[in-house]
Amino acid sequence: MVAVNQDWPVVELDPVRRMRVLAAATPGVAYAEKLIPAPFNTVWEAASDLEHELPRMITDLRSFEITSAWGERMIAHARGRLGQRARFDVVLRPGWCVMQSRFLIGGMAAVPEVGGTRFAFLGGLRLPGMRLLAPVLRPAIRPLALRPIGRLESRLRVRAA
Amino acid sequence: MAVMTGPPELDPALVRAAQRGDRIAVADLMDALAPYVGRVCGPIALHDGPDAAQEALIAILKNLRSLRDPAAVYGWARAIAVREAIRVARTTARAVPAELADVPASGDPQLAADVRDVLARLTPEHRAVLVLRDLEGLDEQAAGALLNVPAATVRSRLFRARRSFRKAWSP
Repeated sequence: MVAVNQDWPVVELDPVRRMRVLAAATPGVAYAEKLIPAPFNTVWEAASDLEHELPRMITDLRSFEITSAWGERMIAHARGRLGQRARFDVVLRPGWCVMQSRFLIGGMAAVPEVGGTRFAFLGGLRLPGMRLLAPVLRPAIRPLALRPIGRLESRLRVRAA
Repeated sequence: MAVMTGPPELDPALVRAAQRGDRIAVADLMDALAPYVGRVCGPIALHDGPDAAQEALIAILKNLRSLRDPAAVYGWARAIAVREAIRVARTTARAVPAELADVPASGDPQLAADVRDVLARLTPEHRAVLVLRDLEGLDEQAAGALLNVPAATVRSRLFRARRSFRKAWSP
């Protein structure tokens, strides 16, 4: 048999590419990404500060409180502007965050890129029937994912000042 | 002989949770499958490997409900990854495969016994056969079934592909 060594090319997908996969495989979610002109550490330090920054990025959210954590897994309790409550399972590690409640899904990813940090945001509802609505919804709801990224950029400017 | 380290064991409960629509489980499953999918797509799609692996994982996660036996997830994912890698590599047509006789002789400083150089001289279909036989350890029948070609075609592709490696590395 031909000698084949361990130099075969392998592919590693960075967190933003993985978030694209999750978005494409999740019906009806809003997804957007943008190059933010700031270093990765600065961007992720803000984005991963879920309790303080998530309610600023998602204005429907009044509070997001982490009630338990083990390793990169967490449980958080969210409260909305209208008083609604939800329990979220969260996975958080450098460059990657996925959050899920009974009815909602959210995610953020970031990787360093020339010129700053590529930042991705995903958000949407987990409801029966989203699979059917997804092709119609996807183009219409993309701005919903761009807005939180814009708010994060504003916050980065405030934090830097 | 290839180093055939199998993928790690996967908890069937994780696959079932992902099939039910648990998105944390879907993300965990993606994390578990991504290294394996990257290992399959890399040698077939070469420069387009990241795009191929991304497309393969999308196809895998979108079609997860069609997987009947969670224990068979790696074999099922492999078939999708190979097909996506060939499709993406064909679509971009970045590399025009040369005749195998054009593979540089050993001692050529440009070659430097680099696997990637040799692979780049093959078509995506030839690379897929090499991956399935020499990396994944499939027999000709199984590789042919996955690629939708007769076992004899697998044999001839493998012969040509291996010959290119011999030419590249023989003194």
